[in-house]
Amino acid sequence: MKKRENGHGSSNGYLKLATRNLLFMSLAIFLSQVVPVRQKLYRFAYRLLENEEDAMDVTQDTLMKVWQQQERMSDLQNMEAWCMRIVRNLALDKLKARKCRRSEDLDTASELPAIHQENPHIVAEKQDVMKRVHGIIAGLPEKYRTIIQLRDIDGYSYQEIADILVIDLSEVKTNLHRARKAVREQLQKLQVYGV
Amino acid sequence: MEFNKIRELLDRYWDGASTLEEEEELRSFFSMEHPHLPADLKEAQALFGYFAAEADIPMPVFPEIETLIAPTPPPAGKTVLKTMVWHHWMKYAAILLMAVGIGYGARQFTSRHDGVLAERSIAADTYDDPKEAFAATQKALALLSRNLNKGTAQVQKLSYFNDATEKIRAN
Repeated sequence: MKKRENGHGSSNGYLKLATRNLLFMSLAIFLSQVVPVRQKLYRFAYRLLENEEDAMDVTQDTLMKVWQQQERMSDLQNMEAWCMRIVRNLALDKLKARKCRRSEDLDTASELPAIHQENPHIVAEKQDVMKRVHGIIAGLPEKYRTIIQLRDIDGYSYQEIADILVIDLSEVKTNLHRARKAVREQLQKLQVYGV
Repeated sequence: MEFNKIRELLDRYWDGASTLEEEEELRSFFSMEHPHLPADLKEAQALFGYFAAEADIPMPVFPEIETLIAPTPPPAGKTVLKTMVWHHWMKYAAILLMAVGIGYGARQFTSRHDGVLAERSIAADTYDDPKEAFAATQKALALLSRNLNKGTAQVQKLSYFNDATEKIRAN
């Protein structure tokens, strides 16, 4: 009887030890791979939502969601892509709830970071160009826009983009090519007609 | 010539065939000022300028990470017990109310049922044999007619008096 009790106690002990080890491992992964990409996650959320508060909420919710799924952490190959995917899903849910598409408003474009220049005329001209380019990018379909942003602003590889958006590598390349083509056409119109 | 190399890189960029390193080269080229930039490179300059500005979004102050990962303390045993009792009295009250309601309804039903049964028993036939029933009916009707005749005899007397009064008035 005593022997059985001992055996039961030791298996409980192993279980506790294993759980604690898993927790430490998850914490280590979380602190080394998830926390450092917080800014990237925020930037991605901000670009999708165009609102600081909502972007912050989505970033925090993502971190919570990742932490709640500790047991999956060690199995994942690309933690950053997984986090970005969660950010995208949460942001799109929020957009759906808001029932508001990213607008091409010049008002929102005016919130772009100011360009530091001596000459106010050049500053105004550059701001104007920024607004127009912002309008072109904002006018793209959501998939094209996200791919361009992930590649050209965040500098992700094709494979990472495929992981984030859960699509094929070939689809990433095709969509990126189409997106850039569409942007170029719009930019050329802008240059030629000044519209 | 540097511009020619940039043109080549841009061609690859627009085709979606450029590598991350080549794109980084383009970004660093357009991040610098080029006063005599050829017109065909200006479209890309605007785009890369926009990318650089977008990558520079001001960052907010993030809350402490400890608040996120801190395990939520399980509620103490006593509190759980208290809350459970507090939550359960309403259930008991609801069950009691339901029981009272059902009991009251059942009682009402039985009393109504008894009443209906009593009514039915009154309305039910009293005689099984039709001859007996006929005799009893005849007897009852005979009693009724006898009493009625008694009444009409009295009323006849009254009519005599009435006729006499009329004659006197006429004279």
